[in-house]
Amino acid sequence: MQATVIYEDGDHRWIMFGRDPNKSEGIIDTNQYLIQSGDQAILLDPGGIELFAPMLSAVLKFVPTEKITHLFASHQDPDIISSLGLWDQALPNAKLYSPWLWESFIRHFGMERIEFCAIPDEGQTISLGRIQLQFMPAHYLHSPGNFHVYDPKAKILMSGEIGGYIENNEASLYVDNMTSHMQKMRKFHQRWLPSNEAKQDWIRRVRQLDVDIMAPQHGCLFQNQQVSEFLNWLEELPVGIAVR
Amino acid sequence: MATPIFVTAASIAAELHQAMLEAKGLALTAKNARALAVRAGSKTVGFKAITHFIDELASDIIRQSQYINGVSEKLSQHAVSLWRSDTAARKFEWLESQKLPHGDSLYDAMHNCYSEREKLSLMLSRGLRELEAQLEEGDKHIRTANLIATSSKVEASSAGDFRAQLEVIAQNITTTANQIRQHLTNARRLLNQKHS
Repeated sequence: MQATVIYEDGDHRWIMFGRDPNKSEGIIDTNQYLIQSGDQAILLDPGGIELFAPMLSAVLKFVPTEKITHLFASHQDPDIISSLGLWDQALPNAKLYSPWLWESFIRHFGMERIEFCAIPDEGQTISLGRIQLQFMPAHYLHSPGNFHVYDPKAKILMSGEIGGYIENNEASLYVDNMTSHMQKMRKFHQRWLPSNEAKQDWIRRVRQLDVDIMAPQHGCLFQNQQVSEFLNWLEELPVGIAVR
Repeated sequence: MATPIFVTAASIAAELHQAMLEAKGLALTAKNARALAVRAGSKTVGFKAITHFIDELASDIIRQSQYINGVSEKLSQHAVSLWRSDTAARKFEWLESQKLPHGDSLYDAMHNCYSEREKLSLMLSRGLRELEAQLEEGDKHIRTANLIATSSKVEASSAGDFRAQLEVIAQNITTTANQIRQHLTNARRLLNQKHS
């Protein structure tokens, strides 16, 4: 599992984990993120059960288990949180923040010790060490109960499936070429996003944020100008195409 | 509460990763020391000879840390697999106790699961023993580092104008050796704690 620090300011860090060269074939590649501030850390979309061991090894190179105080699952998919039963053994005192809608479903992955903290539909702000993190509503993008994470200090938006594309292990960390990347992302977004209305509402809200890095759960990250280019592209893209 | 063995193994890997980073710093110290010794000329012949040992020691520690790191990561993966297979085996055991009408149809899957659990358990015990042996080997390197640090201090004291700079290098070696020792101690403490 490769780990890359994408933001660092004192003890406030964002680390991206992914591009695991030992991952079994047939398992979708995912990006996991760790945000650390002071004595606390949160794991965003910690990943599937098959990735748990390499993920744990990679994470503990940065923080000990007692400092991983929070987990976040943007939605209920197995590549997001099917590792929960194992994290439940490793981090018995942690809190899991996830959409209220999915609580009784996510518990099927096994959760006896970790505390479930239901995020209300309108979103929520939490404190992590010395920073504030916003759980921003992203319902129907793609899941009916879905949140993204915005860190106003680091100016990073963890955008879940939005901006995602299934890359190979050799893919660069950041998007190299927006034109060719837009082509690659097209079908993924058209098929996986069900609602044009939800998409436009999300774009409107993201445009009000100050974003230096947009970090999706699959594929390459977007930085600076690429973020607004992506929003313009997505705005014009019709989604929910499977029924047409 | 006992710590799951897969967490322990991953934590040991993390400690050894830190030890490896320290050893890389030690290799850099060796290079600086050699450059200084060359500039200082005949007064630091003894120190120059020691720099080769520092370099060699740093390479040995890096190699060994990487090896232990690999062993620990593998161990953590085996422990996760064991935890999963043990969870499945316990469900099968419960099913077996229910004496179900078609319970026999589970026989193959059940016994494959039990033998997988046994195999993984054996691999885990072997891995833990190897880890223990490797950590002991690491202690030998630390003893060597301490000897080198002492010799460096002695040589630095007779280096004339370069004494102060060589003393800093000798102190660096001592500090790095202490930090590596601390990581090895942490790793051993993790290995000796209660596991589930």
